[in-house]
Amino acid sequence: MHYSFDIERGNFADAGQASSSVKRLLKQLGVAPPNIKRTVVALFEAEINAIAHAYGGKIDVDIDDGKIVMVVADQGPGIPNLDLAMQEGWSTASPQVREMGYGAGMGLPNIRKNTDELKIDTEVGVGTTVTMTVYFA
Amino acid sequence: MAEQASFFKHSLKVNPDRCQGCTTCMRSCPTGAIRIRGGKAVVNDNKCVDCGQCMKICPHKAIYIQQDDFALTKDYEYRVCLVPATFIGQFDAKYRTKEIYACLKKLGFTHIYEVEHEVGYMIDLYNQYMEEHPEVRTFISPYCPAVVRLIQVRFPSLVDNIIHVRAPFELAARVIIRRLMDEGAPREKIGVFYITPCAAKIAAVKYPVSRKETCIAGVLNMDFLYNKVQLMLHDSDKDAQPVNHALTSSDVLWPLAGGEACHFKGSQYAVDGLQNVLNFLEKLEDEAVDAEGLVEMRICDQGCVGGVLATNNRFVARKRLEHRAKVFDSQNRTKTRYRRYDDPEFCKWIKDQMEIPEIKPRSIYKLDDNFAEAYKMAERMKKIEKALPGVNCSACGAPSCAALAEDIVRGIAKMDTCIFINRRSQASEDAIRSIWGDRVRTKENNNDDINKP
Repeated sequence: MHYSFDIERGNFADAGQASSSVKRLLKQLGVAPPNIKRTVVALFEAEINAIAHAYGGKIDVDIDDGKIVMVVADQGPGIPNLDLAMQEGWSTASPQVREMGYGAGMGLPNIRKNTDELKIDTEVGVGTTVTMTVYFA
Repeated sequence: MAEQASFFKHSLKVNPDRCQGCTTCMRSCPTGAIRIRGGKAVVNDNKCVDCGQCMKICPHKAIYIQQDDFALTKDYEYRVCLVPATFIGQFDAKYRTKEIYACLKKLGFTHIYEVEHEVGYMIDLYNQYMEEHPEVRTFISPYCPAVVRLIQVRFPSLVDNIIHVRAPFELAARVIIRRLMDEGAPREKIGVFYITPCAAKIAAVKYPVSRKETCIAGVLNMDFLYNKVQLMLHDSDKDAQPVNHALTSSDVLWPLAGGEACHFKGSQYAVDGLQNVLNFLEKLEDEAVDAEGLVEMRICDQGCVGGVLATNNRFVARKRLEHRAKVFDSQNRTKTRYRRYDDPEFCKWIKDQMEIPEIKPRSIYKLDDNFAEAYKMAERMKKIEKALPGVNCSACGAPSCAALAEDIVRGIAKMDTCIFINRRSQASEDAIRSIWGDRVRTKENNNDDINKP
């Protein structure tokens, strides 16, 4: 099953639409609660990242027999130093974003912690594509 | 798939003589537990969480709470009335607490015991539990039974965040029974009767989440006793013997929104009201809010004073309780405090009595136990939902088009239950189109691959 959602830059108020829909579907499928939680937390983090840093983007979710693949693709500044970005507490978030309670530098590390596979393709000045896979079995 | 046999019982009932099938309750139910069948509201017991929303919103007073027969009290020699502070909050401040209790005694109770009497011990129990579970960051208070059930059915991934301790009235009931037994009363002669402000607490007594046994002999509706006591107070019975209360000022505030959270370390979130609770649980599940420590949650607006059986306006009742809190002693409870309170063996017994071994998740969303089958059903549901008009008119007897789509894949409704799809004449076709426009698909279009499993 395929689902897709649009991401609008700076629209924190709408954050969580994708994760809510996905959460509902995984509950219908009877996926074990810890796996639902991992999936939703990772998706929400990725969504927030795209809202905070990029100029808009798209989320594509594919669910089949034993896994969910979530692709969050944005047109944005890209990540100049991926190794640094993967470190806990490292953040380039603006003061405004931090004021909203985001931007603590836990986003990517948290995504890695909650997913089984994580692939990040990024190009400075072009955008970032985060591909996350969670296995249900 | 056939519908599951119901295995949960509830105190909320529909009176078929009053129910008009108007869909109001069905549309407001947070778990989608209600359908209209045969012109009447029908509640799915497996989905209902006893929140009382349907009863609050019903314009025909067709939903009621079944209570125990008051005559049941006659079976006991020691008739204990377990009073929550919410009850005294129903009365005007000019009536003193001891007068209210005196009226309860005149009704036939031999002892009055306050639920919030044991608040100090509840705080200890919560703190002990939180210390014993350092791996959990957010703890959800088990105080409101409707919240516990709502989490079980709608937010199964949060069941381990609930403090596995029973509600305060269960503690108060146990303590007063032990106390009377220590004074020589035989157990079988003690009957504890709890005054409930809501449906959820009755359900928690009658059909507990995990342990079967209860020590409460009966549950009486707050509005029923309020009427009786208010009449007696009105007649200002001078010869009634006053009964002293044993509450401190912070005990009295416990049932109000915020009255619980303020006793604990951490972020001290206090969430009240059905929509707010749903919203907050959603955020907790996504880890979109970081709440460290205890989160107090009450299904009713303003806490228990907003309960469906609380007679008076919740804001008025809140003010009244706040007023009593000012009058009551801030600490002193020594005179009425049970002497065994500090006895370690007694405390261990209490802890054991109050523990809930397990709160099981029981998702109401799951379409089938088999993933492949559930997947097929979800796929079909998505297609059906697209075909339905999306106006959520409820004429099909389901709360929304999405709910109808689910009912169809579960085999309990058919595609042509939808009046938009089942248009029989050109006239009805024209009428629908004049209201909803072209987005309503034609009957022919709808048959494409939807009715095939």
